[in-house]
Amino acid sequence: MRWIRWMVPLLVVGLLVSLAGMAYANGGPHGGYTPTTDACAGCHRAHTAQGPNLLTAASTYELCMSCHGASATGADTNVADGVYTDRQGGGEGTVNAPLLGGGFVNYQSATVTSIHDVDGTQSAAWGFGVARGSTANLPGPLTCGSCHDPHGSNNYRIIREEIAGTTVTVDQVDESAKDYTVEQWPDNVTNACVACHGAYHVTRANSGEDNSDDGSGNADYGGDISTYAHRVDMSYQYGSNADPETTGYGGYTLPLTASKYVACQTCHLPHGTAATMTTLATGPNTGDSALLRLDNRGVCEVCHQK
Amino acid sequence: MTSEDPRSLSPTPETDPRASEAPEPTAPAAPPPAEPFLRVEGVGPQAPAPEVLSFAVPDLSALAEPPADETRRRKLLAVLAVLLVALCGVVYLFVRYLNRPEPLPELLPVPVEVNYPPHFVFAFYDVNAPLGVALSPDGKRVYVTESEGDRLIKMFDTQGNLIRAFAPPRTTAAERAPVYIAVDARGRVFVSDRLQHAIFVFDAEGNYLDAILGPDLTLSEYIAKHTGQTPDPGAFAYDIFEPEVHYRTPDGDERTLPRPDAPTWAPLGVSFDPSGRLIVTDVAREQHRVLVFPAEVIAADDWTDFEPEVFAFGAFGEGEGQFQFPNKAVVDALGRFIVSDGNNGRLSVWSPEGEWLFVTGTGGGGAGLNLPRGLALDERQRLHVVDAVGQVVRVYDFASEEPAFLFTFGTMGSLKGQFNYPNDIAIDATGRLYITDRANDRVQVWSY
Ligand code: HEC
Ligand code: HEC
Ligand code: HEC
Ligand code: HEC
Ligand code: HEC
Repeated sequence: MRWIRWMVPLLVVGLLVSLAGMAYANGGPHGGYTPTTDACAGCHRAHTAQGPNLLTAASTYELCMSCHGASATGADTNVADGVYTDRQGGGEGTVNAPLLGGGFVNYQSATVTSIHDVDGTQSAAWGFGVARGSTANLPGPLTCGSCHDPHGSNNYRIIREEIAGTTVTVDQVDESAKDYTVEQWPDNVTNACVACHGAYHVTRANSGEDNSDDGSGNADYGGDISTYAHRVDMSYQYGSNADPETTGYGGYTLPLTASKYVACQTCHLPHGTAATMTTLATGPNTGDSALLRLDNRGVCEVCHQK
Repeated sequence: MTSEDPRSLSPTPETDPRASEAPEPTAPAAPPPAEPFLRVEGVGPQAPAPEVLSFAVPDLSALAEPPADETRRRKLLAVLAVLLVALCGVVYLFVRYLNRPEPLPELLPVPVEVNYPPHFVFAFYDVNAPLGVALSPDGKRVYVTESEGDRLIKMFDTQGNLIRAFAPPRTTAAERAPVYIAVDARGRVFVSDRLQHAIFVFDAEGNYLDAILGPDLTLSEYIAKHTGQTPDPGAFAYDIFEPEVHYRTPDGDERTLPRPDAPTWAPLGVSFDPSGRLIVTDVAREQHRVLVFPAEVIAADDWTDFEPEVFAFGAFGEGEGQFQFPNKAVVDALGRFIVSDGNNGRLSVWSPEGEWLFVTGTGGGGAGLNLPRGLALDERQRLHVVDAVGQVVRVYDFASEEPAFLFTFGTMGSLKGQFNYPNDIAIDATGRLYITDRANDRVQVWSY
């Protein structure tokens, strides 16, 4: 059987090609590992008795910050100050443009007013399998590794493929030419949030009214969804809404996904914000700026110009 | 490597080298070490032993001798007196050292031929997530950069007392990120700033002098070219987050100029080589390289015509002759450039002409690096490499053509002598090491 002679090398080549294709196109030391480089060593101590589990929750933050910190000694994305320390794309343009994720210490040169506190002490998340406005504990403490998989993933920005027991898909959009300062979100970018904040994932029409059943198959966490749980994964175009991305209001704009959908990230920054909040609504807020992009109720005004 | 250099062959510490070449005052501090101590002068077991005996056994027998031995007794008393004085001296030095752990250069010279790891001495804590550290030429001032909190540059004495803190003028904490420090022969302090894309220069006391804004641009030059007047040192300020540069005219008026174009470089590691050249690692996006500034231009008092012939080598990537976030570069006694190639986890060695030679410090085992950052060579050409993720300092012998791994010190933790993401190191002439221990918010002092 002569064809076998041809098939074997072909199969081997095919396998290699498909393996190569599987390699993640993630940035920096995250993923895309080849057997020749000791890429693990950059984060794990090599060949000592203590293995990877030495990386405790508190030290995960310090590990990430040893490259992504204010001094950005091992990356261009400085997540402490929420800036990209170089020019995007290499050519013209400014340095230190704000990052899409916000900052953990400062944002737009001001001290943050709320963050996802990733020091490994927090684990109660709003609306995690419970009614919006109440909290339930996540399976583990919140760290950078709760949302990102430092080993690489098939998701946008190495968002974990599984968060708090839920499978998560956030499509990659800019893997060939990454831009950390201009939104190019996939339509399912909301998935990065709802594994932990399920009760906020309201996708049915008239979300401000009767939400005992959100009509989309999402779990009903008690039918209390009201004032603050804004509908997401929908087009911004309702009634007389202005395009928040281009028109905006008073010089302020808000980002949308590829198909102009509203996402959680339209109003919230995942890392931290320096927005100020003087007119708190009554409700289950924590008395801070709730990771909002704009001061006070700015995020509402940009679309609903009242 | 081989015969002329026995060091590399014996990486493990040998027995305390001070025992054999002990300077008088220290050895007797130990309780009667009669045997080995005296055998140094003695010829052997049957050497005329009376002196030895009377010294080692209870003195009563010696005192009971007839008066004919008066001279011997005197001698003995004299010896005892000398020993007593020496003991007092040692006790005094010991107590003083406990209270004020200063270097003791004259008393404890670094032994030259034996390699043993240093020991932890003490730590000072008046710093917030310290990253860079450097010493003044006389070793009496320790400069440290902070990466959290107020992000200041702090000046300490050798005991860790804070003397002064300073920062680039007009910047707020959120607008600066001082990282590495180099001090030139005149004591001027050069600090790289990752957010400002500049190297700020201060005098030894921390008074601001000028800023290097690019491989061929200083702030004083920019202002001089635009105003036709040479500004007074430090009478101008730059903040990359502001659209304008501020300066004071000789008659004291505050003026502004538009800020120069966005910088095309990203200076990170800074160091001076023995000839006074300024060595900078540049991590501008995808053009990671090393820049070497000639000594004469840097040493000049006036930088209003700053046109150094900078020579550069390296590119971005993980291949030969490439870097990913080179954090620091130093020059060894053979004139080679040694670069800590951070994200590639290795040391990259280049010829004096800037030709790539080889990489070392890779792979597993004791010699392998994880995330090499700060570098410092001591007088014996031992290269100290701070491994931020390995939580250790690894030491290599760079005295000969082919470097050899010597030893490692430190472990992960927050106790004495343990590291939590350490970042940089400086060594003084007496073999004292200053190591920034970032996540423990302290600077550790070790000594050979
Ligand atoms: C050895 C340095 C290093 C360490 C440690 C490190 N990173 Fe990164 N990371 C990089 C570099 C380099 C990039 C590429 C983008 C850049 O230059 O900032 C990157 C990119 C990323 C990205 C964007 C990925 C994408 O798809 O574009 C995320 C998210 C990220 N890192 C998270 C983390 C987290 C979480 C940790 C801690 C567990 C961590 N990093 C630790 C160097 C590092
Ligand atoms: C960018 C930093 C980084 C790199 C590079 C990296 N790791 Fe990890 N690794 C982590 C962190 C942080 C954890 C802690 C667990 C978490 O938060 O996911 C971890 C955990 C682990 C664990 C424990 C199980 C788990 O997933 O929690 C294993 C096994 C592991 N890593 C293996 C590797 C191997 C093998 C490589 C090289 C192919 C590697 N790592 C490279 C950061 C890194
Ligand atoms: C609550 C989830 C969450 C946590 C916790 C989190 N991130 Fe992210 N991160 C995100 C999301 C979502 C993005 C994508 C932002 C975008 O593109 O809109 C992101 C983006 C990034 C990026 C790319 C730059 C940017 O801002 O867009 C880096 C680097 C990064 N994260 C690092 C970290 C590090 C380091 C930590 C811990 C200190 C951390 N992240 C904690 C969700 C998280
Ligand atoms: C891994 C689980 C997890 C994911 C994923 C996650 N969060 Fe959270 N979130 C938490 C936890 C835990 C808290 C409460 C503790 C804290 O504030 O750090 C929280 C708090 C918040 C808060 C309130 C903050 C405050 O200051 O009161 C907002 C708003 C929020 N998250 C929005 C988001 C958005 C938007 C996303 C998606 C980008 C997201 N979260 C993804 C776990 C998560
Ligand atoms: C149209 C803007 C908008 C969108 C879209 C939005 N939020 Fe919010 N969110 C807000 C505002 C405004 C608040 C602050 C309410 C307050 O003051 O208590 C808030 C508060 C929160 C809080 C803090 C607890 C609370 O209820 O006050 C969480 C958690 C949260 N949002 C999660 C989400 C998640 C998850 C999504 C996506 C499924 C999302 N948000 C989408 C505007 C928005």
